[in-house]
Amino acid sequence: MGLFVDKYPDVAYEEKLRLWEEVKADERFPSYLYGCYECGICVAACPSARFYDFSPRKIAQAAAREDIELIYEQMNDDVWNCSQCFSCNRCPRQNSPGGLITILREVAVNNGLKSAQQALEGYSRIVYKIMGTGTQVSPDMLQPDAFPDWGPDVKRVSDELDLWRRALPPETLHTTKTGWHVSEQTLIELYLIWYNTGVMDMIANVDEGLNLILSDVMEEMLEEAGYDMDEYY
Amino acid sequence: MASDNVLIVGGGPAGLEAARLLSDIGVKVTLVEKRPFLGGTPIAERYAALTHGFHDAETMMNGMIEAVTNNSLVDVRLNSSVTASEGEAGSFKVTLAQAGSGSSEVVEAGAVIIATGFQHFDPGRETQVYSYYEYPDVITIADAEGMLKDGHFRKPSNGEIPERVCFIQCVGSRDRQIGNEYCSKVCCGISSKQAIEVRKVSPETKVFIFYIDMRMYGYWENELYWPAQEKHRVQYVKGIVTEIVKKGDRLMIRGEDTTMGRPMEVPMDIVVLAVGMEASHGTRQMAQTFGVKQNKYHFIDVPHDALNPVATSVPGIFVAGAAAGPKDLDDSIGMAGTAAIKAAGLVRKMAMA
Repeated sequence: MGLFVDKYPDVAYEEKLRLWEEVKADERFPSYLYGCYECGICVAACPSARFYDFSPRKIAQAAAREDIELIYEQMNDDVWNCSQCFSCNRCPRQNSPGGLITILREVAVNNGLKSAQQALEGYSRIVYKIMGTGTQVSPDMLQPDAFPDWGPDVKRVSDELDLWRRALPPETLHTTKTGWHVSEQTLIELYLIWYNTGVMDMIANVDEGLNLILSDVMEEMLEEAGYDMDEYY
Repeated sequence: MASDNVLIVGGGPAGLEAARLLSDIGVKVTLVEKRPFLGGTPIAERYAALTHGFHDAETMMNGMIEAVTNNSLVDVRLNSSVTASEGEAGSFKVTLAQAGSGSSEVVEAGAVIIATGFQHFDPGRETQVYSYYEYPDVITIADAEGMLKDGHFRKPSNGEIPERVCFIQCVGSRDRQIGNEYCSKVCCGISSKQAIEVRKVSPETKVFIFYIDMRMYGYWENELYWPAQEKHRVQYVKGIVTEIVKKGDRLMIRGEDTTMGRPMEVPMDIVVLAVGMEASHGTRQMAQTFGVKQNKYHFIDVPHDALNPVATSVPGIFVAGAAAGPKDLDDSIGMAGTAAIKAAGLVRKMAMA
């Protein structure tokens, strides 16, 4: 615990237990954790483990042992080092450490943990773009100050982006000008899914400002399409 | 003059199975047992359920015992020991002494099967600090069998239901300091079986197994290890305990949690030592009496073990079961069949010569 106390607040054991019970109650949980051999396949396959002090095996092991203190540490720290690529799903026991992390993150977000808010801070603009437009971030949106999580080289790359892309050609050279827009009907359906499945509430838990500006965009379109947004509040 | 009789020493699983099979094919048997009863270690140590299969040990052993008692081809000698042997394959003359009576008798045998088994490692010889003889709540897997056979699992010190129980694997095995470099083969399976039984008799008890490697070959994996972990939520922790210290009513164990990479010190209510196998007193004695070679661990040496697991250094003398080294029951029974048919083949060949 000592290493982490300055990064996030310690809470009473009962609170840690409550968070853990919420994780265990998730209907996906039993199919994400059977038993662990400690074989290390998940760590060997994990790209994040090469760069961070991060071990999917420890996530599975802590969950199997129900080590409440350690799980609380992981929920506030380790889980945000995972790239959610699910390479760890090659586990011979069919565990999914990445799946456990999905649940741990959701519980962290749903309970408004400060560490979750901090971890997701850099993503507000990406989330805003993706959810607002209903489609992916496109390379021609890249600007030096747009997405802080893309790292310090983004300015150098963005200066000559077109040249880089032609030098290292991806399968297509898609931009916002080529088949990027989604139809209004698709967008409306996406907005409804996000409202109905609690995604908007999750966003409110970690970033109230983001929730407000997204809601403005979405509600306008939904109300124009004849949906009564009062149902959602 | 060749003898058509086969002498079997030891009335445990291997000896009983060899006797039963020989009588099935019409061969005469003298079955010598030092104890006043048949059944060997599973009966003497009061085993609960057999590993693997979870069948009741007493019921299963009684089935084997019935097959050789009241069997006209099997001459059962209880309370009896072999004190001398001379002769060679086809015509051994073996001296039997009956305890208490002072009488002895020479029995002829064309072949001999030694099935004198193992004894559990004495935890008093352990080089880690487990204090088995000091703390009543430190027990062995053999002690645990007896408790489970009686249908309970309580702290020997005060009769309370334990909150936390742990097994420590490889006690007396895989240890150069003790001189037993070998793996005892069965303790991983037995501990996992007992862990399941503890969880069944006392579902509120948390059960941990501290191990170096879990050696759960073949179907022990899916029959014992996975169910223990996945269905009965037994916690397997890689790392061995080096010290047990009494703290109030409880036991504090010290070891390394190698998975998490940190030392651990946690309380337990009962610690079960997974003691391994050593050559039994009878096995050591019979090796000397029959002049068969022993290996450095005092088990009976098997010169060509991969394709002939029942041969000894003396022609006409065969070995079956844990007298030849650590064996599970499946192996012991399999060896008994091989030894029986080799012994039968030998006495028949001699009779025809």
